[in-house]
Amino acid sequence: MSRVVVLGAGIAGHTAASYLSSWLSRSHEVVVVSPQSTYNWVPSNIWLGLGLMSEQQVTFPLAPVYGKAGIRFEQARAVAIHPEGSAANARPYVMVEKSLAGQPAETVPIEYDYLINATGPRLNFAATEGLGPGKHSLSVCTPSHAIEAAGHFLTLIERMKKGDHCRFVIGTGHGMCTCQGAAFEYVVNLEFELRHHGVRDKAEVIFFTNEYELGDFGMDGAFIRRNGYITPTNIFTESVLAEREIWSVTRAHARKIESGRIFYENLAGEEHDLAFDMAMLLPPFAGVGLQAFDRAGEDITSKMFAPNGFMKVDADYTQKPYEQWKAADWPRTYQSPAYSNIFAAGIAFAPPHPISRPHTNPKGTPIFATAPRTGMPSATMGRVVARSIADRIEGKDAPLHAASMAELGAACVASSGSSLLKGTAASMTVFPIVPDYDRYPKYGRDLKYTSGEIGLAGHWIKLILHYMFLYKARLRPGWRLIPE
Amino acid sequence: MGEINTNIYATQPTAFTLFLRTFLPWQLWRFFSINLRMMLLIGREKHLHK
Repeated sequence: MSRVVVLGAGIAGHTAASYLSSWLSRSHEVVVVSPQSTYNWVPSNIWLGLGLMSEQQVTFPLAPVYGKAGIRFEQARAVAIHPEGSAANARPYVMVEKSLAGQPAETVPIEYDYLINATGPRLNFAATEGLGPGKHSLSVCTPSHAIEAAGHFLTLIERMKKGDHCRFVIGTGHGMCTCQGAAFEYVVNLEFELRHHGVRDKAEVIFFTNEYELGDFGMDGAFIRRNGYITPTNIFTESVLAEREIWSVTRAHARKIESGRIFYENLAGEEHDLAFDMAMLLPPFAGVGLQAFDRAGEDITSKMFAPNGFMKVDADYTQKPYEQWKAADWPRTYQSPAYSNIFAAGIAFAPPHPISRPHTNPKGTPIFATAPRTGMPSATMGRVVARSIADRIEGKDAPLHAASMAELGAACVASSGSSLLKGTAASMTVFPIVPDYDRYPKYGRDLKYTSGEIGLAGHWIKLILHYMFLYKARLRPGWRLIPE
Repeated sequence: MGEINTNIYATQPTAFTLFLRTFLPWQLWRFFSINLRMMLLIGREKHLHK
């Protein structure tokens, strides 16, 4: 009997656990450890954050789904990994902190034969003074954040209907954020809703980003085939924003957020401030802060984790300049180089370096978009890691399965207005996610599979994907037929 | 406006392009075309990672 412990029930972790439970016999055990009791289809938090969906439409309770699938669910927070066991017992284990209502938290060990770290990110609001819910800005990273953002947005709608003018600043809350695509999606949906409510003339909307150029999205931009041209995403994105009279601030690092004001510096080293009535600014990501200890109890966290808290895997972490970055630097199997029975999937793995060119201003402040790990590649990583582990448990003599972001494509559908007949979305495909200039010397990507367009069809696809992926995540009949 | 970029020189869609974005017959065709493109992308990945 083997036990696989999966830390995290997000897109990567839930996918891994689901496939493991379907592939392995019930004589083996799959355990999911997550501090959240619900699954959240994060891409739809954009709509939750504007009051277009309810919390029940983007989440569901995990326990009943895992119960039916034979997955043991522990609502707890992982705090430390002991990959060599302890002095008393050589079996590796993870320490988790459980907190039941009305009782003090207790930390208990869960032994494992295989471990998948799919914890996702720590939302590092603390990286910018005053950033985040409960302080001076909003977020859509979690359902509760998104609900608060929606409430604030609708309050301002009412103010504007009475004649007030309001400024909305949407984007990134630190110079090293990722998820510009989500922020972009939120700002264009917000603008659509302002028009829908008839108050667009009372609103100024600004997209505030750390990207060097619009359309970078943390993947160094892309060239896409479009209407007889090969167009950089910079031009595509500028056009989308200009068409909607959404202004932009780029190359910006938010230093401090106060009530109604962002203080920031730019790549030229200049300092500015920007007043707002509503600011939705995504935080930078960090690892969740897992520690690791060897058999003697010595701290080996730095052996397993990068300084940013993400877990090292089979990537090339050699420090080198942008001009020497290669597609081959990126991990393929997501296996820890230190312990062969540990894997990290989704946002939890440590990228070897960003995808976008790094920039630093004269004050030494780094300001550039960091690498995204969106839903499709995260789920693919989860499935591939699960397959590698299942093969080992079943005694198959097979190589580890691979899903490098330099060999994976991504299909991204960014809503730009939610309405069955008048809505639109930007549908993009990119192959590969991490550009490979050895294979594709001119553009870094295969232009047969890298394209983008905007239209109502994209909105239908986005909506269908919402229902389809929630159906899949609930492990309803035929769920394995739905691709990641 | 200083730092704030209005992107006034950005490419802008024509009225016909805007019309096509929500013109049902065209968008029905685009729906199938985009889905096909995505399925080809997924199929390519499955081939690479079998």
